[in-house]
Amino acid sequence: MVEGYNLKEMAKKIQAIKEAATELQNISGGIQAVDRNVDRILASVKMLEINISDILVIA
Amino acid sequence: MKEVEKYWNPILETLPPEKLKELQLKKFQNMFKWAHEHSKFHHKLYSDAGIEPGDIRTFEDIRKVPKVEKSMMRAIQRKDPYPYGDMLCVPLERVAEYHQTSGTTGQPVYQPDTWQDWEWWAEAWAYLLYAQGYRDYDRVFLPFGYNIFVAFWGAHYGAEKLGCEVIPGGVLNTEARILKMQELRATAMAATPTYVLGMADTARRKLAIDPAKDLTIRKITVAGEAGGSVPATKKRMEEAWGAKVYDHVGATEIGAWSFECRYQSGLHINEALFLVEIEDIDSGEIITEPGRRGKMVITALDRMAQPCIRFDSKDIIQWSPDECECGRTFRLLKGGVIGRADDIIKVKGVLLAPTSIEEVVRSIPELSDEYEVLVTKKGDLDDITLKVEVIPEQPNSNIETIRAKLIDQLRIKTNLGYNLEFHEYGTLPRYDVKAKRFKDLRRKE
Repeated sequence: MVEGYNLKEMAKKIQAIKEAATELQNISGGIQAVDRNVDRILASVKMLEINISDILVIA
Repeated sequence: MKEVEKYWNPILETLPPEKLKELQLKKFQNMFKWAHEHSKFHHKLYSDAGIEPGDIRTFEDIRKVPKVEKSMMRAIQRKDPYPYGDMLCVPLERVAEYHQTSGTTGQPVYQPDTWQDWEWWAEAWAYLLYAQGYRDYDRVFLPFGYNIFVAFWGAHYGAEKLGCEVIPGGVLNTEARILKMQELRATAMAATPTYVLGMADTARRKLAIDPAKDLTIRKITVAGEAGGSVPATKKRMEEAWGAKVYDHVGATEIGAWSFECRYQSGLHINEALFLVEIEDIDSGEIITEPGRRGKMVITALDRMAQPCIRFDSKDIIQWSPDECECGRTFRLLKGGVIGRADDIIKVKGVLLAPTSIEEVVRSIPELSDEYEVLVTKKGDLDDITLKVEVIPEQPNSNIETIRAKLIDQLRIKTNLGYNLEFHEYGTLPRYDVKAKRFKDLRRKE
């Protein structure tokens, strides 16, 4: 069932979101409204990793 | 239905079993390493057993990892970092959610979750609700207490994730909940089997509402008790509500690890998120073949704040020999959770699972949903009494006929003889959430 889905491309985009969110947190200057919302984004990104990126280790 | 629409995640849910195992092993290795490095409790547990992260190379290696029991969790809690103790893998300030177990088997266990863990809870519920046919057009009513027990919190966030409209039926009483369901034309709900039956009874008796005809609930997810996998109880719920009833089993310290899908052919383990092993109760040998009962040992493969690694859940389960028509490769359990290792007791020298009595009582239509079982001692001998209620004005409610049916069926299903007591309808205790219908009084006498 892995066939038919572009796992590598999806994983690449997920990684890009993660990096962008982390960079945003790094330059936030400690603004809580940024840091806490980035935490939530990263929690959702982790779910994308579980659902997509993690499969690459066995694909 | 298109392939992609059948599953929450069509890739993971249909992975070939050998690939799924490979993924589980990788995830187990990561989780073991995480706990070894971040939890003093796990570090000591594994060091004492002489196991380090690099030692886990195969499934056989996993079986050498020491199990964790609830009593071990209780022993380290209420200490620093307060109140979770040394099992906590993250700084306290990362903990975003607190829940605890119900305490039915002793001091409640505290469960900390980070925001990521909480997303993971919702994710596991999203898998199960989607498999049960919940979609974004559903209006889901949740008639539960929204309190410190994790109960149906996951259903709330999982249903939101699917895009459903969620109605939190929190502090409303039963009548108000039923009327609100009717007013809003809710299409689905999640509750314990006891409450599903209790609500239907209240609707009929107090509001003259027939849930099957006057309400629009067509899907019900049940959890918290065994009833969803007890055929007679499930039949009663489905008839009372005119709805499909799907079982789900989860636990606070584990997560939402299993679900029945729309084909209702058993309980699927969500093997993308959990690793389940079945262990022979006496020998500890791992059971891989269907039809042999054993104790569940479970690992949550992505739960980070307070890991659940080889947790000895005491749930009695067995593999099913069948594959499900749904196409999922997640393995099936036959008969759901059959009981708990500490629930299955010896009466008159016979091993008894309380769910067998439930199956008998609820398969007799002249009897109400309620019953009570008392085990006592008369001298040196065990004595077991079953109290039931006869529904008034039933066409076949002749007590002697029902008594004969009960004696016959109880003997077949449980291999025991009972004292039978027939009580007036409505006089046995009613429960709102989890019922306590089985009372072993022998130790107190």
